[in-house]
Amino acid sequence: MQMGRFLNYRLAGWGTLLMVLGILPCLGISSNLTRLLFTALVWIIASVAWNLLGGVTGQVSFGFAVFYGLGAYAAAMGINGGLHPLAAFTFSGLVAALASVFIGLPTFRLRGPYFAIATIGVSEAVRVVMTNLSFTGGASGYRIAEHGRFRPLEHYYTALGFSAVAVVISAWIHESKFGLSLQAVREDEEAAADIGVNPLKAKLMVHLLAATLTGIAGGVYARYAAYIHPQGVFGFHTSVAILLMPIIGGAGTVAGPVIGGFVYGLVQEELVAAFPQFHLLLYGALLIVIILFEPQGVTGWLGKLRGFIERIWRKSATASVG
Amino acid sequence: MDAADFVNLMVSALLLAGIYAAMSVGMTIIYGVMKIVNLAHAGFLMLGAYYVLELHERLNIDPLVGSVLAFPAFLLAGMLVHWTLVKRIPVSDQPTLASLLLMFGLWLVLQNIGYLIWGGSDRSILTSRTLSSMHLGPITISTVRVMVFIPAVCSLGLLEFVLRKTWYGRAVRALMQNRYAGRLAGIPVEKMARLTFGVGIGFAGAAGGLLAQLYSFSPDFGHGFLLRSFVIIVLGGLESFWGAAAGALVLALVETFSILVLPAGYQPAIAFSLLVLALVLLPGGIAGIFAKKHRWA
Amino acid sequence: MPPLLSVERLTKYFAGLAALQDVSFEVEEGQICGLIGPNGAGKTTLFSIIAGSVSPSSGTITYSGKDVTRWKSFQAVRAGVARTHQITRPFRSMTTRQNVEMGLYFGRGPVSGSTSNEVAEILEGVGLGRVADRPAASLCVGDQKRLELARTLAAKPKVLLCDEVCSGLTETEMNEVLDLLRRSRERGTTILYVEHNMRAIMSTCDQVVVLNFGEKLTEGPPMKIQNDSAVIEAYLGKTAAG
Repeated sequence: MQMGRFLNYRLAGWGTLLMVLGILPCLGISSNLTRLLFTALVWIIASVAWNLLGGVTGQVSFGFAVFYGLGAYAAAMGINGGLHPLAAFTFSGLVAALASVFIGLPTFRLRGPYFAIATIGVSEAVRVVMTNLSFTGGASGYRIAEHGRFRPLEHYYTALGFSAVAVVISAWIHESKFGLSLQAVREDEEAAADIGVNPLKAKLMVHLLAATLTGIAGGVYARYAAYIHPQGVFGFHTSVAILLMPIIGGAGTVAGPVIGGFVYGLVQEELVAAFPQFHLLLYGALLIVIILFEPQGVTGWLGKLRGFIERIWRKSATASVG
Repeated sequence: MDAADFVNLMVSALLLAGIYAAMSVGMTIIYGVMKIVNLAHAGFLMLGAYYVLELHERLNIDPLVGSVLAFPAFLLAGMLVHWTLVKRIPVSDQPTLASLLLMFGLWLVLQNIGYLIWGGSDRSILTSRTLSSMHLGPITISTVRVMVFIPAVCSLGLLEFVLRKTWYGRAVRALMQNRYAGRLAGIPVEKMARLTFGVGIGFAGAAGGLLAQLYSFSPDFGHGFLLRSFVIIVLGGLESFWGAAAGALVLALVETFSILVLPAGYQPAIAFSLLVLALVLLPGGIAGIFAKKHRWA
Repeated sequence: MPPLLSVERLTKYFAGLAALQDVSFEVEEGQICGLIGPNGAGKTTLFSIIAGSVSPSSGTITYSGKDVTRWKSFQAVRAGVARTHQITRPFRSMTTRQNVEMGLYFGRGPVSGSTSNEVAEILEGVGLGRVADRPAASLCVGDQKRLELARTLAAKPKVLLCDEVCSGLTETEMNEVLDLLRRSRERGTTILYVEHNMRAIMSTCDQVVVLNFGEKLTEGPPMKIQNDSAVIEAYLGKTAAG
């Protein structure tokens, strides 16, 4: 396929999705569906963010909840302190960005699985500290006191806006020189250095970007929920969710984390309601199947499906000619 | 703090170190031979705990005996896991992300199995030993800690013996140093890998049973121990069991004596802080964890 | 005129074993300097140290008058010292073209005008034009070697470190690569060249440094080296030296 046509198809696809999501609430969908979509969109922000570090650059973090949680608390405290929500979300991003530098500098010395485990440690340590810290409410959590009615659509469109921004950033990175350097770091860090890429700087920069987005996601969630606690926003299961989404959807691609976010956000809620006792089994089994058979996740399957359909199409075309 | 208190704390730390060492051994073996960071280790610790619980509650088997019985059961389970899952992923002399994520997926599955069978509430194993303590002069030790320490240390001793004196042990050490050369030397690498994975899981199951006598547990048990195992490995180095023992000692000492300066709630964060300190203060790296500067040709 | 690159008393221990011991030599600007020696002599280690992938245990490296002993490899590339790898390390998930782009984007630069033109030129220069958009993983060995060289040349090095670029190539392919090296020299690139193939060394190098067991055995113009008995002994043993 020619590059130009392909790009146009993709752009059209994303544009349509954005329009559909933008219009849906106005068509009178149920508040439950709005809530589900909101959840999915918040997850998508974090999923796209994680993918930049984990999928594109190959640094798999098991501790992204630390940024989500810091963002949540930063926004919550900011709003309680009188900040406008957008300013509060900016604050979320900044706090998470700063944290990413402190966390990245020591941990990026480690490669692969060791980095992953170190990130678990970081996230857990912060969770323990937050659970004990009294001025943030400790284990009992923290409430946001916001004036005015609860307007679900405001939250929805905030989430939609930020997730669109995240996707645009992700797409830009994929096409850019920076993105190429990240790919090189993922594949062969030493060869990347041998050709002029500074691996540590690249990792720190993408880490900062990913953390900022994840922090904003946490902030958006916090404002919506109006109550957060360490076990939730800093919990290991949150890190797991943020990691599972892009892997299921297709790590390293632009669409993958979005697909994973929708799958997780929509299916998860329904699943937990209907079969609460199976959801870990499902995700664990899915992860195993993906690792063993299709590391590219859903986008990989879709790619193979498309290839399969194309072959059948061509066969039937030649058959009818011959 | 007077001398008696100090000695008490010291003894506590030593007992804990022995148990920590036994707990991390399973992960060390699997990593050393197969370069797989076994996140499912936590899941097997948990299953070991429940295994011993069931043996105790249904068949009245003493948990210490139960822990010993756990070893062969989990050895077989480990070999099964290797045969169905682990052998299907590419092997390398560096740990791979695929193996990490695979083991993580397995851990999720194991947790869910735990929830399905036993539910989410905390359980514990109580015996006459649990609440009693022994007195040796000014020292007071919880009986159950001593009774758990002894098999832990024995198992480590047995492991050292097997590694140094038996053919299997020598083969394992050879593979830990150079898998390819081991194959050339005639070691049946795949069979060894399967058996060794089983041994690693066997140790995890048995350690879980021992830990169950000290702590209450639920299906997400093992989480904190996973981190501690990793800290032990980083502190002590991956290739030697004496190193792991040393790492366990350091961790146990720091955790035990931290009670003097930190509120108890912060204790779980100790393991992580040690990890970061080790990373920052040992820039030369502990061999094997930091990326090699050269690739082998 | 001071040498562009000089290595002084370079020593490297790996766990107690001396891979390099007190190695010193100089490379003048615009030279092609060959580095030869039997397997295990320390040639690739020396390369890795000069290129910044590995730091030496002791000794100094001076480049353009500056002490660069402990630089990292990406700093070296930006300053104009770039290496190829003995066993090629293409970025397998990228295309041939993208691999070369890497060299262009992150090398010494500057990137003049249109990158796609420059990339196309480089690809044609090494003969990879026809496989430009294939994934690097699908290239055959000879093409991978050429890609390695092309990528490194795209970084516009002042000093090019070539590690056995001819191994695994046919006679014709080798001549093409040697031609490429000579043309680079004409454009002002200095080349430090590790090679086993004696014909390649003899026909391209201005001077040759011989390593054995981590130490410098001798150095000099190719003709002198060819007839040096110590060198012959190192490669072929005592009796061959006569």
